[in-house]
Amino acid sequence: MPITIIAPKPAQQRYAAPQDSPDASDSEEGDDLSEGGADLEGDISMGHRPAKKARTDGKYEIVTPGEVITDDPQWMRGHGTYVSPAATSIISSVAGTVTRTNKLLSVRPLRARYTPEVGDLVVGRIVEVQAKRWRVDVGSTQLASLPLSAINLPGGILRRRTDTDELQIRTFFAEGDLLVAEVQQLYQDGGAVLHTRSLKYGKLRNGIFVAVSGMGGGGGVVRSRRQVWTLDAANGGGQIDIVLGVNGYVWISKHVEPVLAEDQKTTPTTAGPITNAPTTTGITNLEESVSATMYSSQNDRIEVETMREIARLRGVITALVENGLRVDEDMVMKGYHEAVEMALTYGEGGQDDVYLGGERGEQLAAVLRGR
Amino acid sequence: MSSQHVLLSPAELSYLHASLSLQPLPLRPDGRSPTQFRPLVAETGILPGTNGSARICFADGTEAIVGVKAEVERTVQPFTQDTQTTQDEGETPAEDERRKEEVGGSDWVEMTVEIPGYRDDDPTTVFLGQMLQEALLADGEFTKRLRINGRFHWKIYLDILLISPPLSYPLPLLSLTTHLALLSARLPRLKSEGDEDPLFDDDWAASTYVYPRDNNKKDGKDGNNKVVARPPVTLLVMAVGNNIIFDPAREELAVADVALAVSVGEETTTTTTQTGGDDDVDMEEGSTPGKRRLRLLSVRTIDPPSRLTPPGVPNATNTAYTAPTGTAEAKTQDGARTLETERVEGVWKAPRGGAKVMVMAALVAKVLEKGGVADEVLDGLEAVDLG
Repeated sequence: MPITIIAPKPAQQRYAAPQDSPDASDSEEGDDLSEGGADLEGDISMGHRPAKKARTDGKYEIVTPGEVITDDPQWMRGHGTYVSPAATSIISSVAGTVTRTNKLLSVRPLRARYTPEVGDLVVGRIVEVQAKRWRVDVGSTQLASLPLSAINLPGGILRRRTDTDELQIRTFFAEGDLLVAEVQQLYQDGGAVLHTRSLKYGKLRNGIFVAVSGMGGGGGVVRSRRQVWTLDAANGGGQIDIVLGVNGYVWISKHVEPVLAEDQKTTPTTAGPITNAPTTTGITNLEESVSATMYSSQNDRIEVETMREIARLRGVITALVENGLRVDEDMVMKGYHEAVEMALTYGEGGQDDVYLGGERGEQLAAVLRGR
Repeated sequence: MSSQHVLLSPAELSYLHASLSLQPLPLRPDGRSPTQFRPLVAETGILPGTNGSARICFADGTEAIVGVKAEVERTVQPFTQDTQTTQDEGETPAEDERRKEEVGGSDWVEMTVEIPGYRDDDPTTVFLGQMLQEALLADGEFTKRLRINGRFHWKIYLDILLISPPLSYPLPLLSLTTHLALLSARLPRLKSEGDEDPLFDDDWAASTYVYPRDNNKKDGKDGNNKVVARPPVTLLVMAVGNNIIFDPAREELAVADVALAVSVGEETTTTTTQTGGDDDVDMEEGSTPGKRRLRLLSVRTIDPPSRLTPPGVPNATNTAYTAPTGTAEAKTQDGARTLETERVEGVWKAPRGGAKVMVMAALVAKVLEKGGVADEVLDGLEAVDLG
């Protein structure tokens, strides 16, 4: 069946079940996201919109920008709210859920853009090349900037950036290129300055990109202990790298061992360390050998099995987000193992078992919630 | 006409192209089979102030709303006296007049498309609107239904709104939503007779569907169609290598060799097959009762964004790539210039040249296949509850 058409979910549901625990609120908000961002109440049955009083019954309330939350002067205003100069009433400045902490009122937005913080690992896309810096889309309100002085030169050479480097700026990163970087510094207005001065960072290749919503809402990437890891894929997929940018941009790629100086041919070795390598690559020239391939935009040969597992991982991450679950190493790995097991039941179709949209995604999420 | 510009890195494009051109079956980034559509949520009758409306949204948040509004308009009477003198001998003026009246004019339908972030005179928006309108008017069946009597007709305003910013080329979404909205559109019942000024029944419950249906026979037994006729659907089809892919997402369209918008209508069972205009092709498939006969209404090529993508730089000519490749001398000479190179595996190169005729024919044939995608899409849309 090439097309699946689902009947819309009833809109009133969320008022029926007031939340008991923070977990419950997460899953409820996720339902909003799965239907596409700010899904306001009453957009399905316009005829009988619930009266405003009904909102205060449940603990779960949605407010819209400009809506008065309270007139009571005993409350303090928190994030996502403001007080107009003339009055004392607290007004919401975003669309989201009201949270009360003692006497502090704040509104958690349903969906928000990424707010950079120093030290965040982000995946970004170059959108603009300027004379001495790149402008990078990191899903924030503003473009982040990556100065020419904040990248590693190929071969790990340490020197001042000259006019020649400025002229050749597009050989390092050009428009559209994806990179993984770290937030080095923040401007007053919330703009971020990135750097890629580590062997972990640099241009991305051999894989696929997926953007999930960043902070806010129940779903999305959360800051966690490990944002980058390598996993052993099932079904002979070899090793796969996953980069979860804190900004909600995710990169899934085939794991490639760095090309070493003595290898004349660029044959990537996927499994296990290279046996004859350690003789020439020591701690002193590690940087040289690793960063040699840093600015390559040529993909290595990728086996079909690896591609299938990459697509499956992408499906897992999309399913997690669509069902309002958080995206971190733990969830992705659990979801992936579950998806591999689920694929066995889809049977002999071959190609079809990678697909994780629609009902299958919900199934997967239900299993993960049940754990 | 160019679809929206996409910004993808050469490495991503190369990966996508490789996985989509895999044989025997392509591997799509979201794991769908080549003919599978994204799952969608659909409902009709959402806007109380319209004659018919529908909403469709994808899981990624792309959402479209279509409202159908109808207005009574006086049909412009052509000057029969003048035309009589310059008439060809083939047709009598009266016959010609009657035919014209029955078919109706293309200005009886007004369609507007609104996409956030695009001006309403933006080429993309205008092109989308024209493409949808063209499909609707191509077979002349639709305007025939709008005729009230010799002097009056319905004028239909179709307002197509994309609520979210377009994450992928929105044509299939807009077309499916328009289809559902038209299916659910109802007009008040006519009480007057003949060429009088039209008078309508106040009772909305007595209104008739623009596309009439058989309410009693829900499951369409032998020879009885549930919906007698249906509006057309426009499907987006693309080809990568030797693979044909339906309903491409944004990143898939970005590596397409060819992209086509194919409008398919359903031949009503009562009318006999007539030879259409220039771009009308009838599929002669034998008139089995109860089976629908698909009819190709129009084909438009969509300029895939892949042609505008920057090429990747192979390692051999990349100055920033310092691992030994054996051609170190050539590298220093070429400098930062992007050279016209032979296709290197793993390096993206934008497709060149036009679409092959054979590929286009294969795409169209795939759409019209009996029991194929268009058939199943129409079946799927039929199953939507038209409240």
